[in-house]
Amino acid sequence: MTNPIMANIFSSFRDYLSSEQDTREEIRVVVKEIDKCTIEILTVLQIIHQDTASTDIIHACMKARGLFEEIRKNFSKLAMIVPKGEYYRYNDHWRFVTQRLCFLAALIIFLEVGVLISKDTAAEIIGVKSDANEGFHLDLEDYLIGLLQLASELSRFAVNAVTKGDYNRPLQISKFVTELNAGFRLLNMKNDSLRKRFDALKYDVKKIEEVVYDLSIRGLKPGQLVPDDSKQEIKEN
Amino acid sequence: MSGKGSHRNKHYEKKNKVAVGEKAREALEQIDENSPIIKMFRQYAIELDDKHDRHERIVKLSRDITIESKRIIFLLHGSNVDLETKRDIILKEAAMRLEMLSKNFKSIATELKDMDAYQYLRAYTAGLQEYVEAVAFYQFLRFNELETWENLQEKFRFSKENDHPSQSEIVKLLFPATEFILGIADFTGELMRKCINSLGSGNIEDCFKICNIVKQIYIGFLGINPSNNRELKAKMYVLKQSLLKMENVCYNIKVRGSEVPKHMLAQIAIANTEQNEEIDEGFF
Repeated sequence: MTNPIMANIFSSFRDYLSSEQDTREEIRVVVKEIDKCTIEILTVLQIIHQDTASTDIIHACMKARGLFEEIRKNFSKLAMIVPKGEYYRYNDHWRFVTQRLCFLAALIIFLEVGVLISKDTAAEIIGVKSDANEGFHLDLEDYLIGLLQLASELSRFAVNAVTKGDYNRPLQISKFVTELNAGFRLLNMKNDSLRKRFDALKYDVKKIEEVVYDLSIRGLKPGQLVPDDSKQEIKEN
Repeated sequence: MSGKGSHRNKHYEKKNKVAVGEKAREALEQIDENSPIIKMFRQYAIELDDKHDRHERIVKLSRDITIESKRIIFLLHGSNVDLETKRDIILKEAAMRLEMLSKNFKSIATELKDMDAYQYLRAYTAGLQEYVEAVAFYQFLRFNELETWENLQEKFRFSKENDHPSQSEIVKLLFPATEFILGIADFTGELMRKCINSLGSGNIEDCFKICNIVKQIYIGFLGINPSNNRELKAKMYVLKQSLLKMENVCYNIKVRGSEVPKHMLAQIAIANTEQNEEIDEGFF
């Protein structure tokens, strides 16, 4: 029984598979560009951990914003390659880098104005749509994972700010991350990657609290009355 | 379903118990509803819940499809009888039950209407594959041929009833070719079982025939480069193992066929094959 249909089944599948692989190849090329640029932004923003003036930080933000131009260009290329309604067929390719970009965009916004970036703003900076119905969009979970990465970066920032002698920063960070933590607690999570990343948030919160605590027992908290507080701490211990 | 549900609850309890520092606890106790962050997260929570709930519903539908498909396959294995009329009854029942499954697929299609179905493909791929396997097995037994992926697409187009029956909408369920091929790979497993069953019932001719069909399917798979699809790779490996087993069975029938009475041949051929397998294992 030689079956022409059998041959047919496989030849059409070969075509299907090879066209899929072509698309993936195209995507890979663009994502590689995005990766490269993302690392550049990441490097530029590392300045926050160094012993520099706050004007340098603002400069770094501006420079990073300039680099995002390139990111947006590449994402619009990506949007053209990926067929409509097949975002999730290929999104493994850009998932990780998008999370990182959300983190970087959120970091810039935090440094500039001290508020939490909204999903809409993040999408705008990266150069994608916020709503899935409008085309190539920002996945909600990717955005949220980006925010969790931000919390980790900020806990490091708090430590290094103290080293630098900036005692205001940890307080600002503490307030910000505490609120972020409260926000995340409103979400029902499944046992997935977002949940795993979220589980690490409590360590960041704890670290930041420790920094604030260290400042307060030594009376280094800005606007704090030194002797009173330290006496209290000693009693408690 | 209930298993998953309780699992979720457990997580929820755990979540509430997680030790948080003084400050965080304070913040949790007095969540400020007017804070922009909280407002934002309330919105995100709704979106996430919607996604998870939809996922759960589809998984449930898919699981029902898997179970029923497995039962249909089991039923079809029983069609290995001499009586023509009984065979017909079984095939008719299978056809009817396969038809019934389209109701479940339609529910999935409705869930995914106007959405990127690839986002939820993982939730129903198992059911889809099992269904393809059942359909392929049925068609093979009934018509001695397989339908192509393009033709099967028809089964995943549903018309959705509207208030006005005249302008009913067409809802299509995403059915990627990969899922089809994976189903076909599983189908060869059923062919192997049927091959061995045929031998058991003394139908040696069928045994050779089925072996030849699997050989052809194997040739088809050889032309595929599974590169980054791990599932496909694994199934192609299993296919090869099934084929080798069948070829060994055929070999044993040929070699020992004249030495042994027919009703014992099956046992001996299968026993011999299994022996060979044990030896083989050392080489992998």
